[in-house]
Amino acid sequence: MRKNSWLKKGLAIGLSTAFVLSLAGCGGSGENSGSSGDKTIRVGIWDNNQLAGLQQIADEWGEENGYDVEFQVTDWDSYWTMLEAGVQGGEMPDVFWMHSNNALKYMQAGAMLNLDDYIENDDTMNIDDFYPDITNLYTLDGSHYAIPKDHDTIAVIYNKAIFDKYGIEYPTSDWTWQDFADIAQEISEKGAADGVYGTYCNSGDVQNFWYNVIYAFGGKVISDDKTESGFDDPATVEAMDFIANEILPGCPPADAMANTGGDTMFQSGLLGMLPQGSYDVIKYYDADNVDDYGWVMLPYADVNGDGQCQKEERVSIYNGLGWAAYANTDDPDAAYSLISHFCSEESQKKQAELGVTLAGRMGCSDPFQEAYSNMDMTPFIDIEDAGTLVMRPYSKESNWESDICDVLVSAWSDPSTMDEVLTEVVDTMNADLAEENE
Amino acid sequence: MKRKMTPRQKNEAKWGLIFVAPTIIGLLILNYYPIFETVYQSFCKTGDFGIGNKFIGLKNYITLFHDKEVFQTLFNAVKYAAVSLPLTIIISLVLAVLLNRKMKGRGIYRTIFFLPMVCAPAATAMVWKWIFNQQYGLLNHILGIDVAWVTNPAIAWLCIVIIGVWGGIGNNMILFLGGLQDIPKDYYEAAAIDGSTGVHSFFHITIPLLSPMLFFVIQTGIIGALQLFDLPYMVMDKSSRAWPTVKSITYLFYEYAFERSDRGYGATIVMFMIVIIGIITFILQKSEKKWVHYE
Repeated sequence: MRKNSWLKKGLAIGLSTAFVLSLAGCGGSGENSGSSGDKTIRVGIWDNNQLAGLQQIADEWGEENGYDVEFQVTDWDSYWTMLEAGVQGGEMPDVFWMHSNNALKYMQAGAMLNLDDYIENDDTMNIDDFYPDITNLYTLDGSHYAIPKDHDTIAVIYNKAIFDKYGIEYPTSDWTWQDFADIAQEISEKGAADGVYGTYCNSGDVQNFWYNVIYAFGGKVISDDKTESGFDDPATVEAMDFIANEILPGCPPADAMANTGGDTMFQSGLLGMLPQGSYDVIKYYDADNVDDYGWVMLPYADVNGDGQCQKEERVSIYNGLGWAAYANTDDPDAAYSLISHFCSEESQKKQAELGVTLAGRMGCSDPFQEAYSNMDMTPFIDIEDAGTLVMRPYSKESNWESDICDVLVSAWSDPSTMDEVLTEVVDTMNADLAEENE
Repeated sequence: MKRKMTPRQKNEAKWGLIFVAPTIIGLLILNYYPIFETVYQSFCKTGDFGIGNKFIGLKNYITLFHDKEVFQTLFNAVKYAAVSLPLTIIISLVLAVLLNRKMKGRGIYRTIFFLPMVCAPAATAMVWKWIFNQQYGLLNHILGIDVAWVTNPAIAWLCIVIIGVWGGIGNNMILFLGGLQDIPKDYYEAAAIDGSTGVHSFFHITIPLLSPMLFFVIQTGIIGALQLFDLPYMVMDKSSRAWPTVKSITYLFYEYAFERSDRGYGATIVMFMIVIIGIITFILQKSEKKWVHYE
């Protein structure tokens, strides 16, 4: 027996470690807080940061209607794997988030509940109160399959301590992308000894960074009919060259960006400025040095050179999730009722007030400004009037997005090759789109 | 000549079948049905959510043989296997021999070497990711150097090998220890009387008598290494310029089958892998007679 005792010990340690780790793993996937009722509605989402606020809103509905609302949080990649398997196997959450990248596919397959009749019989619901672009994402042949949950815009967070240290003035909303690039390069130059960089733009930072630049320059990522790449459009090429020649010199080296995320570097006080989505805010408000953080509107591109910002020269990419219900849910009435509650004026305002996200319903986002007493959020809302919101480029399957990011990695390693890489981007994207439309 | 079964034997056979039925049914549903479904899907352009599969004959296979990425990722996996497997085996064998003696703190050492096995791979990968971080990582900091461990295409895959070897030593060491303890002490004593030294005994007694276990470890090791998936996925970012030199063929399969929902092509990649692994296994089995000694 003596001989094997070490093995037993090892096994005991192993099993207990595995057990603890598996517990930790479960902790992430969210349990519902206790509310009344023995009926359960399952809700699928992918963002753990929003769980607490949404649970609070959902529990109001649950208590009123005698339901337990059980949230399941799965990270973005696994979420779509889970959902796809769910549709195939008929085991789906009753209510779930839908995204522009995948909406068409799910609507065409009949996986999402047609909400037309429900909306019509619901006096509190008028679909025209929501952002029409977002509503459109979830509309097929005139039928509504999801109701906008939120919308998101982009703004620039900057670290005042770094600006103070190098004697640079804080940015104001009347700045251009050229100003942005100049400041970024100046910080990188002066901060070289401290390992501080001006900004951070990785090849995969599409929605929060370089898509915005492309549209501000008047370019486009995809043609309006979603059949062709926009990367051969002269304005798009100009914007990408600007990224390569002006923005990247103010960023950490490509290798460093592949090693460490922009949010991590910013939180560690190593970046001067970083464009971030309104959905990212929740990562910053409880930082130790939150008083150093300020938000400013995205810059504009002075395309016509008149020194003024025209509305179309300042662009924030925007997008919005939809609340959808599973077509074969056991309890469609309850599922819709919950969606209606999530999208009611009161809940939408509360969602903004709790700092979860901006609202999907128009005119309900203002409380977001005061959601964080220590940070001024107005740049996210002001850009709606001072600029243009452009829907995040998408197509039916949007496979091209990760493919062009893969191709662009080489342009990020050697920015002087941007033009050649862009021709490859066009080919890759057009091939993906052709396959998609086959 | 076939003998008729007695009633008692028949009865036993019946109950035997009933007892193994759950396993048989499980195998049929969970293993064999998916195998045939995979073969079928590899000839299809699969529709969304598994609805509307369209039979397209060999088209997926033709695409596969023209797909440079398939061969690049296969090469990546082979290269990983070729370096990590010998290292794992040599190190774990030496450790097993050293820890098979009476010595102080033997249990502690065995536990230490086995510990990586009981940690969740995803968790250890995250730790390694920070150790290898070029700017803020522990390794560069301690050594006072500036090496792009996981972004330089020339060395990134070696970092994955290091993590793989580190994680694989424990398990193989346990298997070798089990094998070592089955070797009777008499052989060594007899050899010592004839004047054999430790090293000589190791190569002429230990290795031959351990060969069945070695064979097992090599065979499972090759298959395991070719199926490399989680390590590169967790340790590296896709924006790393080294990613194309590390991405494994299993990851490519995952990308097509699950991220792009192109099940058909994903199935084709898997079929290709099965053939490759089949060939390797066949060669190994043939070589078995030459060097594996069963007592």
